[in-house]
Amino acid sequence: MTTPTRPAVDRRTAAAMYGTMALIRRFEQAAYRGYEQGEVHGTVHVGIGQEAVAVGMIGALRETDSVLSHHRGHAHALAKGVPPERLMAELYGRSDGVSRGKGGSMHATDLRRGFLGTMAIVGSSIPVATGVALANKVRGRDDVCVAFFGDGAVNQGVLYESLNLAALWRLPVIFVCENNSYAITTAVGDATAGPGVAARAEAFGVQAETIDGQDVLAVREAAERMIEGARAGRPALVECLTYRFMGHSRGDPAHGVYRDKEEVELWQRRDPLRVLAEHAGLGDDLAAELTAEARERVRAAVEFAGRSPVPGPAALMEDIVK
Amino acid sequence: MTTTTPAAATAPDAAPGAAQPATATFAAALCAAQHDAMRLDETIVLLGQDVRAGFPFGATKGLVDVFGPDRVVNTPISEAATMGCGVGAALGGIRPVVEVDFAGFLLLGLDQLVNNGAKLRYMSGGQASVPLVVRVGQGPLGSFAAQHSQTQHAYLAGIPGLTVLAPATAQQAYDAMRWALVQDDPVVLLEDMRLYRRGGPLTRGPVPGSVTSTVHRPGTDLTILTFGHGVVTALQAAQEVAARGIDVEVLGLDSLNPLDVAGVARSVRRTGRVLCLADDPPLFGTAATLSLVATTEAHDVLRAPVLSLGGRAVPTPYTPGLEALVYPTPGAAAEAITTLMKWTD
Ligand SMILES: Cc1ncc(C[n+]2csc(CCOP(=O)(O)OP(=O)(O)O)c2C)c(N)n1
Ligand SMILES: [Mg+2]
Repeated sequence: MTTPTRPAVDRRTAAAMYGTMALIRRFEQAAYRGYEQGEVHGTVHVGIGQEAVAVGMIGALRETDSVLSHHRGHAHALAKGVPPERLMAELYGRSDGVSRGKGGSMHATDLRRGFLGTMAIVGSSIPVATGVALANKVRGRDDVCVAFFGDGAVNQGVLYESLNLAALWRLPVIFVCENNSYAITTAVGDATAGPGVAARAEAFGVQAETIDGQDVLAVREAAERMIEGARAGRPALVECLTYRFMGHSRGDPAHGVYRDKEEVELWQRRDPLRVLAEHAGLGDDLAAELTAEARERVRAAVEFAGRSPVPGPAALMEDIVK
Repeated sequence: MTTTTPAAATAPDAAPGAAQPATATFAAALCAAQHDAMRLDETIVLLGQDVRAGFPFGATKGLVDVFGPDRVVNTPISEAATMGCGVGAALGGIRPVVEVDFAGFLLLGLDQLVNNGAKLRYMSGGQASVPLVVRVGQGPLGSFAAQHSQTQHAYLAGIPGLTVLAPATAQQAYDAMRWALVQDDPVVLLEDMRLYRRGGPLTRGPVPGSVTSTVHRPGTDLTILTFGHGVVTALQAAQEVAARGIDVEVLGLDSLNPLDVAGVARSVRRTGRVLCLADDPPLFGTAATLSLVATTEAHDVLRAPVLSLGGRAVPTPYTPGLEALVYPTPGAAAEAITTLMKWTD
């Protein structure tokens, strides 16, 4: 892992990052509650503990850059500017949801904001992001596309086929692996051989590094470098070491089955919100203020979602094809 | 070799060797079948994501404690390679069971299953044997949205070289699994995810001689041809119309390929009225095939045209209200029955 010299960050930028992470944290807590109350359906995967990856990476993007995400994607959506009330309405399965209630947590999509969607097939975001980058290149734009995926996805062959295409065609794409140590119950070491995904990417001539995913400033710094390279046709991969504080999905306990409480607590000490507050010297008052703001936005989002109508039967057969 | 029984199968509802007929959930029955077969055949090896933990439905829970990590193998998320390994391991002389939790993930492994697994025996002029068992979750689970709510019966059953089973009860799940594990060619078990938690009687008997069809309810007025979770829907519909004096026979096709044509003929020739019921859309779907078989086998004695009831041709929506409109309900089946009964001799 490369230990970057932590960039000096101005207080306003740090506060904004903290605010977005707090928003994501509160949002996901509310999503969990919503599930328990029967308002959020099916299943829900939260990434509590992983907020720094989304916020550091996406915060360095332009509005016209785009993002593709996976089953644990609320953070990516919110960081890309998807309004929390529209995302919550999607989780509630309501008409005002970003995907009109048809996609849910696993398929929330907001094209207008460059949030090209969450894909629930592990590894599926990777070639699609590569294709979006191809389109950017063909259209003569210097926008980049970022694919997020988990450590579980690094053993899908499609990653290596995509790395090859990206390097071969010099595509403006960035592959972000959120290594949170587990794929459901399977520890990384039980699934992945060799020196890790960054080394694998380098074998394709793709610039790659492994960074501390709990430190939003470190992520941001790497993101800026990689985005600049990608705009110039040098695709990149970054592996962010992080941890999910909760279980894999609703119903899966945070610890007890495949990892123990001590391990979870150890990582919780490196809560990305706390890490940033300390590094940037935000101070308790500002942190509390930002948290209160986030809480209020999520409260409003929940209220909005609850008021949004459920889609009527006519919606069923709409949008299959144009 | 140890003979301890796995946790899921020793749950009080599936006690092995219990004197009175035990009951088990569909998932526990699958687990028990794998356990019982693995005790008899040391070459059986389970491959799948999180199979050691029995995640997510419990169909392999506890097996690692009995058979060890060499026979209950957690795979990385590499469906294409895992399925190919399944084919190769079968070719190499062992009996792999590849678990795929959701239908959507099978798409990544289909190349190996269809291009190799299903065809190697034929392409090699009968030399190659691929005794591979693939278990795949099917159907909706309730707001799991489009990628996690798919049915593949029609596609898979149409592939020559694949045997495709679609059990409807815990007993059938057990029997299908035991039978699959003594075949010489690839067998795909399509496990409707809505069935996993349903309980039913279970006798852990010997390997059945065949897997064909089951009369879940005998009747004289009309036959519902269905399979998997469709059996549950059909039985509810039959109950509903029984109050009006309509006597429905529910015939479950435990095997879709090969299809028990003789069993279908026997039933539909006796009742003369047929409703084909499936969750996939009727066009190009399983209901179309069942309808074709019924018509072919009984055209000279049918008392009414054959009707089909299937799901809507739409990617499964997330929101519960819309999802409920996709799959045939007992009410819709009862309505179709009413329509069929208007045809009199
Ligand atoms: C192709 C495919 N196989 C299996 C699954 C089931 N599944 C959903 S999430 C998951 C684990 C993914 O782990 P990882 O990529 O590390 O992401 P994390 O859940 O840790 O965020 C699995 C196996 C899936 N969705 N898609
Ligand atoms: Mg992971």
